[in-house]
Amino acid sequence: RAPSMAVPRLLRAGERVVPFPARPARVTPPPAVGASGLVLQSRLVPCKPVDDKLLSEPLSHPDFFNVKELFSLKDLFDARVHLGHKKGCRHRFMEPYIFGCRLDQDIIDLDQTMQHLQLALNFTAHIAYRKGIILFISRKRQFCHLVESTARECGEYAHTRYWQGGLLTNAHIQFGPGVRLPDLLVFLSSLNNVFEPHVAIRDAAKMNIPTVGVVDTNCNPCLITYPIPGNDDSPTAMELYCKLFRMTIIRAKDKRRQSEVFNELRSKAEGN
Amino acid sequence: MAGNRMQKIGSVFSRTRNLLRIGVIKKPLWFDVYAAFPPLREPVYRLPRPRYGKVKDVVRPIFYQEDEVRAKFYKVYGSGPRPFNLSQSNYKSTCQRFVEKFNELKEEGKIEEEKLFEETGKALLASGIILQRRGTDKVAQEDHQGVETRGSVLHLQLQTVLEEIQGKKKDQEEQTPELAETQKENPLPS
Repeated sequence: RAPSMAVPRLLRAGERVVPFPARPARVTPPPAVGASGLVLQSRLVPCKPVDDKLLSEPLSHPDFFNVKELFSLKDLFDARVHLGHKKGCRHRFMEPYIFGCRLDQDIIDLDQTMQHLQLALNFTAHIAYRKGIILFISRKRQFCHLVESTARECGEYAHTRYWQGGLLTNAHIQFGPGVRLPDLLVFLSSLNNVFEPHVAIRDAAKMNIPTVGVVDTNCNPCLITYPIPGNDDSPTAMELYCKLFRMTIIRAKDKRRQSEVFNELRSKAEGN
Repeated sequence: MAGNRMQKIGSVFSRTRNLLRIGVIKKPLWFDVYAAFPPLREPVYRLPRPRYGKVKDVVRPIFYQEDEVRAKFYKVYGSGPRPFNLSQSNYKSTCQRFVEKFNELKEEGKIEEEKLFEETGKALLASGIILQRRGTDKVAQEDHQGVETRGSVLHLQLQTVLEEIQGKKKDQEEQTPELAETQKENPLPS
């Protein structure tokens, strides 16, 4: 399973960096050619020890990737993100995120959704900036194609089929030793086909992997690190989420490429 | 490689932080990011216990002042003459126009409270929207207003038909349209 390309750095004994093989939208981004004609490494090769400044500088800004401008309250309202399920389907832990109940239908508080969405997108952007592996999960058949194409366009991974028990917890046996697990799981719908919480939420918490997830009024938001209270059943809402995630990830990756190129140029200039 | 798989104790961050402190793992990618931008609520596991005793609904119901007018409108006129076009976000339904007219007339203050409803109906008629009251085109409901059950309605209708047959000597053609009419009136929701 080890990549057959030349590894510039010495790896520790038994350590191989192999991306988490998820099907089917698994695509490695084509190696980009930077301004100085430099071919940047794809993630199959371990990164050289990057500048600490490169990684720590984005953390000092509250919104380094400016994710706030990607969405507005009106966009969320038009995409029908505020519509929840009926009163009987309500999960107890979603009550703080619900604005009210109109004729037995729950309405989600969009002010809170804005805050949560901003935090979640910011976190995703930082993970993508640091070249983390992001896995999109959704068990809704209606949107499985949409999620997979979103992942393909970002250069990330998606898993929209039946989740086998040991995919995360038993990865070393199912995929071989030295598998690199995803660094972030994004749930575009946190329930599975029988309206129970998706197994991957619990598994990610077990493997100490942070999660970002869209939680509807019938979902349990406890174990999700960055929940986004919102509708996960309307096509408009799902398209909005996919668009937002795709734009943040692409933005973060571009920023990373830019910073690396800039650093290279600067170190060359200093060297000369 | 060490790890902590106890998802019900603490959060992902607290467990990783403690493991880092004792030095058994190297720092994961997301750790600094989480430390810099923590979520609004720490993702600790909570047991979803059901509420016992008298259950109080913490989520407030959403009602507006205009809902009273809307309820009366729907009771009297049924759903409006035009179907709702939900694809436009700025669509104004007949009911919404009614409510706005009602509020306008109320603010003017010249008409009394009881008459406001009818006045709004007339005003809307003047502006071209025809409102049909629910149940006015069904003849049987006008005749037997107090009668609730379908059986008694049917009985009375049959009586009137019998009287007509006995009283006047009519042709077969005149009787059949009347019978057809009573048969049409039969499956009325009374």
